[in-house]
Amino acid sequence: MVKVGVMGLTGCSGCQCEILNCEDAINRLIGRVEFSYFPLAQDSNGFSDFDILFVEGSVSTELDREKLIEGRKRAKILVAVGTCSCYGGVQSQRNDEASLEEMLRAVYGEKRPEVRVFKPAPLSEVVEVDYELPGCPMDKKQFVYTVASLLNGVEPFFPKIPVCHECKLSENECLLLNGIPCQGPVSFSGCGAPCTAQGVGCQGCRGNCDFPNFEELLSIYDRLGLKGEDAVRFLKVFRGKTLPKLKERSVDEKGA
Amino acid sequence: MRRELSINHLSRVEGHGAVNILFENERLKEIRLRFTEGPRFFEFITRERLYSEIPKIVSRICGICYVSHRLASAFAVEDAFGVKVPKTVELLRRLLVVGEFLESHALHLYFLALPDYMGYPGAIQMAKDYPNIVKRGFKIKEVGNRIMKLIGGKTVHGENILVGGFASVPQKESLERVGNDLRALIPELEATLSLFDSLDYPEFESDVPVSVSLDSRDVTEFSDLVVTSDGERFTRKEYELFVKEEVASYSTAKISRLNGKPFVIGPLARVNLKGGALHPAVREEMSLLKTKFPSKNSFYNNVARAVELLNAAYRGVEIVEELLESDLESFNASVEPVEGTGYGVKEAPRGTLYHRYSFSKDGHCTGANIITPTAQLQSAVEEDLKNLVESYSSVSDRELKKLAEMLVRAYDP
Repeated sequence: MVKVGVMGLTGCSGCQCEILNCEDAINRLIGRVEFSYFPLAQDSNGFSDFDILFVEGSVSTELDREKLIEGRKRAKILVAVGTCSCYGGVQSQRNDEASLEEMLRAVYGEKRPEVRVFKPAPLSEVVEVDYELPGCPMDKKQFVYTVASLLNGVEPFFPKIPVCHECKLSENECLLLNGIPCQGPVSFSGCGAPCTAQGVGCQGCRGNCDFPNFEELLSIYDRLGLKGEDAVRFLKVFRGKTLPKLKERSVDEKGA
Repeated sequence: MRRELSINHLSRVEGHGAVNILFENERLKEIRLRFTEGPRFFEFITRERLYSEIPKIVSRICGICYVSHRLASAFAVEDAFGVKVPKTVELLRRLLVVGEFLESHALHLYFLALPDYMGYPGAIQMAKDYPNIVKRGFKIKEVGNRIMKLIGGKTVHGENILVGGFASVPQKESLERVGNDLRALIPELEATLSLFDSLDYPEFESDVPVSVSLDSRDVTEFSDLVVTSDGERFTRKEYELFVKEEVASYSTAKISRLNGKPFVIGPLARVNLKGGALHPAVREEMSLLKTKFPSKNSFYNNVARAVELLNAAYRGVEIVEELLESDLESFNASVEPVEGTGYGVKEAPRGTLYHRYSFSKDGHCTGANIITPTAQLQSAVEEDLKNLVESYSSVSDRELKKLAEMLVRAYDP
């Protein structure tokens, strides 16, 4: 029996819910896989050795850190699921703009919770991560593909091509050509482009594709009326630290 | 002599919670419900962002009730800018809520709550012996997910739920299919209601003094007015005057009180306060139940949830019919930022939530406050736990722990 764990750190549980939305896969896994740790879904969660451990959420508290480090020690394969665990998530988007103290003050005033907290960080800042499934939430097809691959000893592979590629495959109209700010050209595909199919610009929730050209995209945004800091912040919501600094500077020079 | 009962990691709840019960000389000394979830600074990360970014950011507060957070923030922005949305937008938003409640309540009932009453650690283990029951849970969730994906674009965090309305709307044929799905789901939801009505719930009478809900007919409609079981009424603009939050050093969620008192929100509070306004077919079903409403037994939140599920399907069918006759071309309002503050309230599956935002004249957020159901429920659940420990003083520690877990879970915090 393959032992699988699903661990939640600081996040919204949306990725764990997507796991629970994989009805067919869960039914087929019963008998082959034992969920030995999945506190959202069951009691009696042993912290024994895992063949595969999926981890959702950012590292935001001392408890998150301890659980993650212990989980890493016991897991043969550790998979980060969702944008919080891969890049830090929406909660980390202003990490570079303020101190932890300022962030805490905005929420709690002068009092402080007893829990020791950090600036939200991705798993890879604390432990070694074997695979990353970004997305807010992660895509359930990719989750099933990953589980199936790992169970069969196959290396899962995620090409970092832009969302534009998936828009072409789906024959979606290009939103940028229609005046709608879209992050497709700089974003890691794999979601099947559901947002652009509905006429909403890609929000970049899966992070960067390979060789993203932020400068050119920012100049397109500028022409569409999304300017300066607003444009950079739009790109930053899910990318946090993975949005290169250099590009921001060049916009500041142009914009402000 | 000191004795301590601790549940360090509450399982089968969304997020991270712990319960500590402390006895001294065989008397209850202290009860603490602690949320140990790391802070995510939503009041900070929304600041300086454009109004159009707000629903997307606050959606991430909760992966299960994101529709509620997105809508409450959209209501607040629309309030600040004086935006009136077309009828079609309102209907589609109401249909989204139907989807949200189907998914959230089915997830809670079948996957988080039911294993306690059937004697399993979780639904995955329960599926071996009761495949059809678990399948029913999946099926209800699936219909809810399909509705949210159809309108919002994704099952979780659908990005098409925007300030002013939507970027696109579904075809009539897809809406007809939703209507058919919902009609076909009604027998499953009736079976759900009789299943949850038939379970053996612990005897319990809550002392929490006040119940609170929005003044709408039911959760599938919106209202700016809040009502309480004390007969008090206030508007969304007055919310912070009535509901006061304070920081407790032991929990990362803040603690709220209404006029200084703990209060309950959520399915049971809603059915107790507004049960008479539910769909007539649902009221008829309710008259046949073993469980009687209004009730002070907090465990009946589960039955109330099943009542709301059935009601959501009936209302969903009505909403689809109305949508099929309305002008689907008009699916958004124009939004022009003005300086000011706006307020949004919404019944989320687990209770009333509140959003407030202020904006500069160019539409940048200058301040925010979000009061979540979890924060508002904390002191009520602590009150109930105290009451539980006192009424079940003779049971073993193991049993008491189990009961405490089931009680917290009944609120789906």
